[in-house]
Amino acid sequence: MPAAEQQLTTQNLVRLTSRPKSANDTLRFVFVGDCQRFYDEAEDFVASVNKQRNIDFVIIAGDISDFGLVREMRWVHHRLRKLNVPYLTVIGNHDQVGNGRAVYQSVFGPLNYSFVYGGTKFICLDTNGREHGFQGQVPNLGWLGQQLADTANSRRSIVLCHVPPTDEDFDPALALAYARTIRGSSQLVFHLAGHIHRFTNGQPFHDGVPYLTAYNFRKRRYTVLSVWGRRQFNLETVAYAPAL
Amino acid sequence: MHRFLLTLSGLLLFLQSQAQVAEPNNRPWYVPEHVVLQTAGGIGMVAGGVGYALGVHRRFDTDVLVGYVPGRYTGDRAFGIFTLKDTYSPFTLPVASRWQIRPLSVGALINYTPSQMLNRSRDDKYSYKNYYWWGSTVRLGAFVGGRVGYAFDTPAGRKRVASLYYELGTNDLYFVSLLTNTKGLALGKILTLGLGIKLDF
Repeated sequence: MPAAEQQLTTQNLVRLTSRPKSANDTLRFVFVGDCQRFYDEAEDFVASVNKQRNIDFVIIAGDISDFGLVREMRWVHHRLRKLNVPYLTVIGNHDQVGNGRAVYQSVFGPLNYSFVYGGTKFICLDTNGREHGFQGQVPNLGWLGQQLADTANSRRSIVLCHVPPTDEDFDPALALAYARTIRGSSQLVFHLAGHIHRFTNGQPFHDGVPYLTAYNFRKRRYTVLSVWGRRQFNLETVAYAPAL
Repeated sequence: MHRFLLTLSGLLLFLQSQAQVAEPNNRPWYVPEHVVLQTAGGIGMVAGGVGYALGVHRRFDTDVLVGYVPGRYTGDRAFGIFTLKDTYSPFTLPVASRWQIRPLSVGALINYTPSQMLNRSRDDKYSYKNYYWWGSTVRLGAFVGGRVGYAFDTPAGRKRVASLYYELGTNDLYFVSLLTNTKGLALGKILTLGLGIKLDF
């Protein structure tokens, strides 16, 4: 595997931070998930996103691959690298099948990581509890709590994962503690996830925290999220037709 | 059309008559007839094994191979891959007294990777919805290829063939990926090239 196709998370973060953004500017990014085995759609998705203005980056909420194969992740990358902006991912349950976990770590990078851009701290973590046998270790609540508590360089926080805590594939023993940890953050804008293949926006824990889920590629739709101020946000849905 | 078929069957008969016929031997049936060494082709970075040439004209090769993928390519520990492979080569072209070409081979394989590193898809994790329909440790493959052989005599005077072959193949998961992406994925992207040698005992 060529070095240019390894550690893509680091590579994309280098690209992103080479275009610094003030915390006072509105942050705009594309939110979509579950591109697994939708290569036709991936090309149309890239064409559509490249037509958008003022997009900072793209977020893929997990399930980059269907079978956890290295070729699949590279096929997706060969399309997404044509985006005009960097893209960032989080690991999905399908990315952990077979040898997928090792493949994801080599192609993309760490399963849990965070970065700050435009005054906003993104905390991306593995929540695929069922893939880890529901052993109470995934998601790593200790790490999540530390990341949320460390607000030194940011004024807002966003959590990104694949399996939302309301799903049966999330470790049931950890779901409430997870929501409690999230709720404990005073600067959280919202929680982002994928897995269920449709867009939702609700407050399942009735605690004022918005939990959003992403369209999958098959829907030929994605959401553009704009974030500004303390924790204001706006969402726009973009639909793209197949190229003729 | 009739004429075409006649010509074709004539050609096939000619090719059959040219096919190498095994020398009779007294080896027990279970002793393999050839050794195989292969690189890539979906069965390991290197794979070695033994096999039999079956059928009246020895056109069916059945090989059993053990492959190896070093840790630097798996991301962690090395993989061992156990493969059963069947290759059918219907034609043999004698191009010189000792050289023979099998221009077309088609085959299928099944392999098993028992590594503990592989996260199993078929345990009861998702049985509630038969979520993962494929097995993460078992792959089915199919391929086409060709083979060039060189016949020689051992010091003891026995006839042997050493041959070089190639295989262009794919597996079930790559194939399924292609099926639903007629525009976004090309056939070339799902192919795997394997190269190998076979040597009669």
